[in-house]
Amino acid sequence: MALFRLIGTGGVIAYRALFNWTTPAMFIGSLLVGPIFQLLFFAYLGRQLGVADDRFYIVGNAVLAASLSCVFGGTMAVANERRFGTLGHVLLSPRSRTAVFLGRVLPYAGNGLLIAVSTLTVGSLLLGLRMPPAALPALFATLAVAALSCGFFGLTLGALGLRFRDVWVVSNVSVALLLLLTGVNVPAAGLPGWMRAVGEALPITHAAQAARHLAAGEGLAAAAPAIAAEATVGLGYALLAAALLKLFEAESRRRASLDTL
Amino acid sequence: MNLLRMIGVGLLLHTKQLSRSSFEIATALIVPVVQATLAVYLFRAGGEPGRLLEAAVGAGLMGVWSSVLFGSGGAIQRQRWQGTLEMIMLAPRPPALMVLPITLATAVTGTYAMLATLLWGRLLYGVPLDFAHPLLFLIAVPGCVLGLGMFGLLLASTFVLMRNANALTNTLEYPIWLVSGMLVPLTVLPGWTGPIAAVLPTTWGARAVHEAAVGGPVWPSLGICLAISLGCLVAGALMMTYVERRARAAATLALA
Repeated sequence: MALFRLIGTGGVIAYRALFNWTTPAMFIGSLLVGPIFQLLFFAYLGRQLGVADDRFYIVGNAVLAASLSCVFGGTMAVANERRFGTLGHVLLSPRSRTAVFLGRVLPYAGNGLLIAVSTLTVGSLLLGLRMPPAALPALFATLAVAALSCGFFGLTLGALGLRFRDVWVVSNVSVALLLLLTGVNVPAAGLPGWMRAVGEALPITHAAQAARHLAAGEGLAAAAPAIAAEATVGLGYALLAAALLKLFEAESRRRASLDTL
Repeated sequence: MNLLRMIGVGLLLHTKQLSRSSFEIATALIVPVVQATLAVYLFRAGGEPGRLLEAAVGAGLMGVWSSVLFGSGGAIQRQRWQGTLEMIMLAPRPPALMVLPITLATAVTGTYAMLATLLWGRLLYGVPLDFAHPLLFLIAVPGCVLGLGMFGLLLASTFVLMRNANALTNTLEYPIWLVSGMLVPLTVLPGWTGPIAAVLPTTWGARAVHEAAVGGPVWPSLGICLAISLGCLVAGALMMTYVERRARAAATLALA
């Protein structure tokens, strides 16, 4: 029970303290409106080039929208502790740091899910895409898995914040790479083999495939393998984040570089 | 002459300062290169391999705009964090003239993006750099950079009035890319976006650079870009003077 409280309540408190975008203006501007313009940009570019139809871009970019708060949130969950001078206090806690940090992913994942749903809804309304109603529950579940997977990916990047000073560069570049490598905007067949291989190991890729199956009305059976693959990728990043956090914590204590900015 | 020297020295100082920042350099170099790669694969997938130069130039322009948007939008705040805002405002020159070199520097730093995307395209994807007007391209890019730098002053002075300017900064990146026709031709956008595009210096700057790269009358577009940007400069200078006086009177210059 205490562990769940640590993960749940601790995660929410950390979210309120560390997430830079909690003010309404920042939340709406950066997280809700921004991804819609991104979706429109690629939808119009795709239309002009004739690469794929609107559904491809609306669904793909809606899934990708979940990554924004998760990747930056995961980074903030660790890097902002250092910036605010509270990292030492967290690491001095007698509770499991793995539980503390993994719990922080949940609010960001919830946030990512909200952004993905909002982007999908507004994008569909603006560009006139009709979703099969029967697909909506599975689509919601797919977006939830994608958000969770992205949250753990973000925490993995955040763990680098214990070791490297300028972790924001890593976050910015990672968000740009997700745009390219996940097949959200360029059909996977149009990318070289090595990019597809890297994309397979990233969050969003499989969730976007699953969401496209569902939006096309192909049913849960067609989407299930991709959803399972996305969950596996997410689990992989959760384990990697936990390992890196332990490793870099020990390293930063040894090198006395915990609060180095 | 003294004025030009001051702007020149200020530009050099701030460009050097921005060029020392690993975050600025990574953002100006790596992110546009990723976007250029994305554009190249999109244009290839769309069966438009002949337009790869357009894609590389477009991605470079997107990088210039990002640099101006985030750099100029946060110019005042950055000086405040560095503790140098009071010294800038105490200088015996109009505040706008002190901030203009900063916003110009963000545009100059943005040209790293253009260089990076063109080199990346040439070396990795064999994009032929066959500019329709090579000399005009060398004029159009700095002209566009100058125009966006002046536009940046208006952003800097407007954003300093808003407590949540960052929200607007994050939101304005894609719309300006879209409406200015940097990568997506304006002809595919809804008609109501036309008047918005027409009053933005980014539209005309991007058009001038594209015309220099793939053909078209460069000078009219460049002229309109610089004329609108000059208007932005005047508006930005007036705004900056107002903001500075208000901040001094309210003793809030150093407060975030």
